[in-house]
Amino acid sequence: MRSIVAITLLMIAFSVFARGVYQTDEAFLAETFNNELPKSQVVWVKGDLRKSIDDILGHRYAGLRIRYWHKDGRKVWILEEIGKEQPITFGIITARDKIEKVKVLAFRESRGGEIRYPAFTQQFDDAQLKGNDLDRHIDGISGATMSVRAMTAIVTLALYLDKFTRQ
Amino acid sequence: MNRRMRSLHRSMGALVALFVMMLAITGMMLNHTSELKLDQRYLTWNWLLEHYGVATVEADAVFLLDQKVISQFDKQLFVDAQPATQVQRPIIGGVVIDALMIVATDDALILFSPEGEFIERMSSAAGVPPMIQNIGLFHGDPVLQTRDGMWRSDFLLEQWEKISLSGISWSSPQPMPDSVEVDLAEYFHGKGITVETFILDLHNGRIIDRFGVWFLDVFAVLIILISLTGLWMWARQLR
Repeated sequence: MRSIVAITLLMIAFSVFARGVYQTDEAFLAETFNNELPKSQVVWVKGDLRKSIDDILGHRYAGLRIRYWHKDGRKVWILEEIGKEQPITFGIITARDKIEKVKVLAFRESRGGEIRYPAFTQQFDDAQLKGNDLDRHIDGISGATMSVRAMTAIVTLALYLDKFTRQ
Repeated sequence: MNRRMRSLHRSMGALVALFVMMLAITGMMLNHTSELKLDQRYLTWNWLLEHYGVATVEADAVFLLDQKVISQFDKQLFVDAQPATQVQRPIIGGVVIDALMIVATDDALILFSPEGEFIERMSSAAGVPPMIQNIGLFHGDPVLQTRDGMWRSDFLLEQWEKISLSGISWSSPQPMPDSVEVDLAEYFHGKGITVETFILDLHNGRIIDRFGVWFLDVFAVLIILISLTGLWMWARQLR
């Protein structure tokens, strides 16, 4: 009985600890561009782009424009997507049609925080678009299905936006 | 003794009759909830909504921007009575420039179209000065008061220059207009109280909270007494 209580408390503690801001947007950008932050640019979400973005996410994107930072062929996208109930903030670096890095910057859900671990995020390394989907299967995490789905959708979106901004 | 019992029986009977009728009528109505669509009809009497505590809502902050009401409930931001976006920090002010509504938190500016559609959240990564304390207007340009001083920009909000000005029209919180409060109350609490809920609470006495339960108990005791006195008189007549 005691061990069940201890395990339950431990699980609650881990899920609570998973919440938080792991890195600010500014720190992620500074780290990516070695403190030489380029001027930000925006993509207006309208017309066919709106339709494609909504298709990738599976729902209407909440916003009329998306900001990104571009320097030496590398682009940084700071995007939010709701896992189950709360928005998760992702920092994504795209370079030459590929994912260079994905990082969970802020996690606010009560469950699914495991998606922040490099063991999971490294599945996206060098991922590319195949049509409007990722070119690979992403292994899920038990108990973090919604968060995994949110991260997969947002990485796909970043690659699509990378491609769109090169046109 | 028989006369006294008869008088007591009559007095209690008159008192209980109204109550029994109310129970019978509400009971019959509840038996036919589906047919009468009691769960689909709503009561919106002000006194009733106030009694159930669903007549009003209390926003954490309210700002009037042009013809729009911006309010915050926990992490949800509303434009009029429509949920617009989520924010992680309390809103501290708002201004309107050209075709843009700008709402400030201490770490970002949240932009909306004149129709109230969320455009974007701009933080210091987009060039907005951090540690914002208030937002205002100076000759149509947005001005931020931060812990680090005063900053002025243009409609693009990307370049901010440090300034020292007076005569700035600073944003300040406002009371929630009644019309929007009514809509928000409907958003949070629904269309009102269903007739089913009202009838059920009348039937079980909970319409007046715990006093209703005690009230019902008193009437239940009266019904028991009236039954006993009736039986007693009937038994006396048989002898």
